[in-house]
Amino acid sequence: MPAAVETHDLTRSFPSGVAVDGLELEVQAGEVLALLGPNGAGKTTTVRLLNGILRPDRGHARVLGLDPAVDGDEVRRRTGVLTEHAGLDERLTARENLTLTGRLRGLDRAWVERRTDDLLDQFGMADRAHLPVQGTSTGQRKRLALARALLHDPEVLFLDEPTSGLDPAATREVVELIGSLATEHGRTIVLCTHFLGEAGRLADRMAVLHRGVLHAFGRPEEIAATLWDGLDVQLDLGGPVEPTTAAALRADPGVSVVADTATGCTVRVEDRTVVPRLVRLLVDRGVAVYGATARPPSLEDVYFAIEARIAGDRSEMAEVGS
Amino acid sequence: MRGSVVRAVMAKDLLAVSRSKAVVIPMLAVPLLLMVVMPFGIGLAARGQENPEVSRILASMPGDLARPILELPRREQLIVLVNGYLLAPLFLIVPLMVSAVLAADAFAGEKERKTLESLLHLPVSDRELFFAKLLTAFLPAMAVSWIGFACFCVVSNGVAWPVMHRIFVPTSLWLVMILWIAPAVAALGLAVMVRVSARARTSQEANQLGGAVILPLIFLAVGQSSGLLLATLPVAMAAGALIWLVALLLVRGGAKRFTRDELATKV
Repeated sequence: MPAAVETHDLTRSFPSGVAVDGLELEVQAGEVLALLGPNGAGKTTTVRLLNGILRPDRGHARVLGLDPAVDGDEVRRRTGVLTEHAGLDERLTARENLTLTGRLRGLDRAWVERRTDDLLDQFGMADRAHLPVQGTSTGQRKRLALARALLHDPEVLFLDEPTSGLDPAATREVVELIGSLATEHGRTIVLCTHFLGEAGRLADRMAVLHRGVLHAFGRPEEIAATLWDGLDVQLDLGGPVEPTTAAALRADPGVSVVADTATGCTVRVEDRTVVPRLVRLLVDRGVAVYGATARPPSLEDVYFAIEARIAGDRSEMAEVGS
Repeated sequence: MRGSVVRAVMAKDLLAVSRSKAVVIPMLAVPLLLMVVMPFGIGLAARGQENPEVSRILASMPGDLARPILELPRREQLIVLVNGYLLAPLFLIVPLMVSAVLAADAFAGEKERKTLESLLHLPVSDRELFFAKLLTAFLPAMAVSWIGFACFCVVSNGVAWPVMHRIFVPTSLWLVMILWIAPAVAALGLAVMVRVSARARTSQEANQLGGAVILPLIFLAVGQSSGLLLATLPVAMAAGALIWLVALLLVRGGAKRFTRDELATKV
């Protein structure tokens, strides 16, 4: 099956500098990709390039088999975008924002009316349907903007910072909505965010951008394997580990790191087969083992490790330069 | 270019504009003042004068313009001079002003309200977007001007009826000016304002930048329109055609250069 979204050497500059530099990406149909990176990483520019809003300086993209720079209208007909600012006209009512978008998309009026009612109901906005958007909360606006992005039942959904500016309750609501879109409807989603929690919960794969350059792409565990050798295991010993016990653990050829914790220690092992051997060693030494939990690196661990690597690379380059 | 999409963009914009007091009030207040209140007040004042003295004013006007007025009974001279001649240039100000207000809002207003990006993400081509925004400013401007002109005719003739006992406006030159030259002048201003709006970040900035272009245009239009009343019909038609030609060339050039890429870089 061809990829829903792919880019090759996609590059775009502005007078202020390069926003996206040689981007190579591939998003399979039905997959959720988290595009991660700090502000100014090039996430929004990537979404604009993929929707034919901006034209690339170099390279090309394909979305649903179409080149956005050539068939921009057709791409935009089949994609939905939730922009960082909800982008709703405050002078219009919630309902008008949706129905007029339907007209702009050239959809059948009667169908748009029914679909609008369904979406307003589904997104908990039915009671505010006939009120101007001005006066609604940020969370309600995000929900409404998401409903608008889904109005034409798009095959690919681009969500640019969907939870920015939301309080924790509204964030959870929106993340749950996006989660249901991904799992229940099998939609391809490109999620741009710098909130790692929502990315970790929703995404199948992640791409880390920094100043327009792609620094990592894949499943978090795949990227972790390139960053660290081995697996962290938390050993619950009911209290701080004795120095002699820590030394014994360190002496095992399958252990690379032993770090103290309040209830025991975290050991980095070659692979999971080392764990039973360590438990046996502890029991033989008369140490009570209350638990041994393998802790694969979280998306957050992976992201910050990449950020640290980028920072390291930059300072190395600065040193070479000086 | 799909007409249905252009109409949809216009319908959305006009509905939104109709709810914006900051846009609607100045857009309607100035035409109301120029086309209803002024002719009514002047007509009323002139009607009350038993023997108005306008010969000094007429003496300073070109002979061709003054002669037909001097040939009228004295009671009619002031009304015809003011409502039939001196207010004429205002009909070029109204379409220019209304279209400039709406055109400034076209893209710069969208940027200000942070709605431009979601508009750019719709399957509306660059050309459709450009012409929709142009027409969103042009058609209401012409509607306000023409309705205002109809009101002006009713008010002017109504207030002057006890003196004139006949309909004295519009003349054929008035009709050429309002139906042929005023739309051309509005299109000329719009061609400039839509481009300015696309480049500006706020509608205020667009108004300021646009003002630098529109104001000289207004002065030029006002100055020349008085002269047009001396012209023959073919000359007035030719002048209108020339303005239309320049306006259409500017619109064509603007449409060619207009891209969402350029707009998006300024969002």
